[in-house]
Amino acid sequence: MQFSATTLSPAEEKLRAEVRDFLAEQLPPDHRPALGFAGRHDPAFSRTLAARGWVGMAIPPEYGGHGRSAVDRFVVAEELLAAGAPIGAHFVADRQTGPALLHYGTEEQRRRFLPGIAAGEVYFSLGMSEPDSGSDLASVRTRATKVDGGWTVTGTKVWTSEAHRNHWFAVLCRTSPMEEGRKHAGLSQLIVDLHAEGVTVSPIPFLDGSHHFNEVALEDVFVPDDMVLGEIGSGWQQVTSELAYERSGPDRWLSTFPVLREFVREHAGPAVRDDAAAVIGRFAARFWAIRQMSLSVARALDAGQAPAVEAALVKEVGTRFEQDLVEALRVAAETELDQGTGTLFQRLLAEAVLTSPKVTLQGGTTEILRSVAAKGLGS
Amino acid sequence: MSATDAGTDRAMLTEVATGILRDLCTPEDVVAAEATGWSDRLWGALEASGFPYVSVPEAAGGSGGDVADACALLAVAGRFAAPVPLAEAGLTGGWLLASAGLELPDGPLTVPAGRPGDVAALSGGPGAWRLTGRLTRVPWGGRSTRVALLATGGGTSYVVSAPTAAARVTPGRNLAAEPRDDLAWDDVPLAAGTVAPAPAGVDDLALRLRGALGRAALISGALARVAELTVRYTGEREQFGRPIARFQAVQAHLVTIAEEAQLAGLAVQVAAGNARPEPGFFDVAAAKAVTGEAATVAARASHQAHGAIGMTKEYELGQLTRRLWSWRDEFGSERYWNRQLGRRLAADGPDRLWPRISTGLGET
Repeated sequence: MQFSATTLSPAEEKLRAEVRDFLAEQLPPDHRPALGFAGRHDPAFSRTLAARGWVGMAIPPEYGGHGRSAVDRFVVAEELLAAGAPIGAHFVADRQTGPALLHYGTEEQRRRFLPGIAAGEVYFSLGMSEPDSGSDLASVRTRATKVDGGWTVTGTKVWTSEAHRNHWFAVLCRTSPMEEGRKHAGLSQLIVDLHAEGVTVSPIPFLDGSHHFNEVALEDVFVPDDMVLGEIGSGWQQVTSELAYERSGPDRWLSTFPVLREFVREHAGPAVRDDAAAVIGRFAARFWAIRQMSLSVARALDAGQAPAVEAALVKEVGTRFEQDLVEALRVAAETELDQGTGTLFQRLLAEAVLTSPKVTLQGGTTEILRSVAAKGLGS
Repeated sequence: MSATDAGTDRAMLTEVATGILRDLCTPEDVVAAEATGWSDRLWGALEASGFPYVSVPEAAGGSGGDVADACALLAVAGRFAAPVPLAEAGLTGGWLLASAGLELPDGPLTVPAGRPGDVAALSGGPGAWRLTGRLTRVPWGGRSTRVALLATGGGTSYVVSAPTAAARVTPGRNLAAEPRDDLAWDDVPLAAGTVAPAPAGVDDLALRLRGALGRAALISGALARVAELTVRYTGEREQFGRPIARFQAVQAHLVTIAEEAQLAGLAVQVAAGNARPEPGFFDVAAAKAVTGEAATVAARASHQAHGAIGMTKEYELGQLTRRLWSWRDEFGSERYWNRQLGRRLAADGPDRLWPRISTGLGET
């Protein structure tokens, strides 16, 4: 395993400057920054961003995308996240579903979904977790039964982000019964219309009172054969292989950055207190170093490598870092938290305290990532 | 020289240095050197190959190369816990002397660690300079032949190549038994050709940045070795009928160590790679802060994963962790650099923060 320091090319720097200019125009000076990719669902913003060519960057032009490199995507994503831009509508489709369709989708599926994803108009959720399946994803019970022309799906998915606003979700389900000792076999992915008959979406209120997560109940939902993603029986390999590399992007370490920036705003100037200066310095230094790690993975992906262990390390260290930042800022601020009052810094800090426990859970818990990474370290 | 050539040369440099250290700086050699704080044999071999003065121009008597070469070399030295003042040579002391056109000495050179209360003043004048100074915890101070330092005389800053033989030496050690000696000169006459005005940009801060970068590089090398040792040991050591690396609680330590070692290595690569030719304030402050924290976190996790064997003086781990515990405080602890960095960032204001963080390698 080796991370190598990498340099951004002049073209990549130019892209960064363009995104910065765009954000300066689009986001009003008093906008409340979103914390992380799931912070705000704003279809208008997603469409405007897409019009600039910054959604669907991984998708080839023949499917309406832009065929850009992993590093270009990295640059755009980090600028959006650092600014707290509202990217929640398109982000999952862009990061996860688009690449999955490219890898595993049929030609027909690609033509059907990818142009809409690249236009910032078609939004996907992920249908992985269930009431009894969290980290042990292979234990999912949602079941698809073969019927004429397709499958009928029954089961319950939970923690489904934005299912009440999005259009589709990729459901991991069992298409043949679990066999003793082969629990990773018999799983498949189906693309399910969130508005289909038999689909019931109900909110799971989040800790800060927001409606982001949902329970999605599927009751004899008909899914036509042409909505099977990839091979029947290969669902486990599909959700765990290529997509593992998506773990290491800027969304894994930048989600609480706007809180630090607002802290700096409150302490700006030459008369900064020693303890505040130490917090600013410590986290700026680590942001800088973790960014190098994450960027190094993007560069390795562009070079055709498969940095799975590196990606797991970035997510593990990055998400814990996001939480450490919040607690260090709380200690330095010596305040009492209230979501509704106070300065922008204080309100963001309150939101971050309430929401940041999720970052070490979603997309693979810290414990699972450690296990993945440790196996790679030993080999 | 193209970037690729530079990379190839650097790889060759580290390969040759690794070969020398593998032969002459075994864990047994490091233990043996603790009595004197020094390995004569190793220093002789490194000197014969020109390693001490990597990054000092050949025209000035050095071996050529750049700051990144020197840091790559120091990472190798850190990995082997080399008991010699390599970081005090080319990257810091050699740079200081060469910048003022002074000669590089025969024998080891060192530099002050820039500790609070250190003073060095010149009196007399050209041709008759005299030095009065007190420097604390100078790395290999008593072992050096000369100390490259900055001294003020008549309101001007000078670079001085001060003779150690004329100093009063009070020995001290860091936690790894590396000499950290107090040196005092009382109105000592200086020979011709050992004092020259300090050029613009050659000042306490510039020296401190180089000193801190050197320590960061040593730390990164030691951490890479700590990570390897811990993976190896936990893969071999069996308890409850299986290698302890199979236990999730132990895996958590392995992951932490790998992360910190990689962060430290990248931080040094970027900070050294951006030196053109001088290392930048943000890069070095961030690199020393990150490596200092990494040293703390990884040393703790590696000892926990090793159990009692890691606490024996003969075992390699302790040679590395005692250095990590020392180097993290030398040339500014993580808290010192965090504060320095934070002050600068607060002064620049919130809108400059992200542009600064996202400026990485090659983007200064």
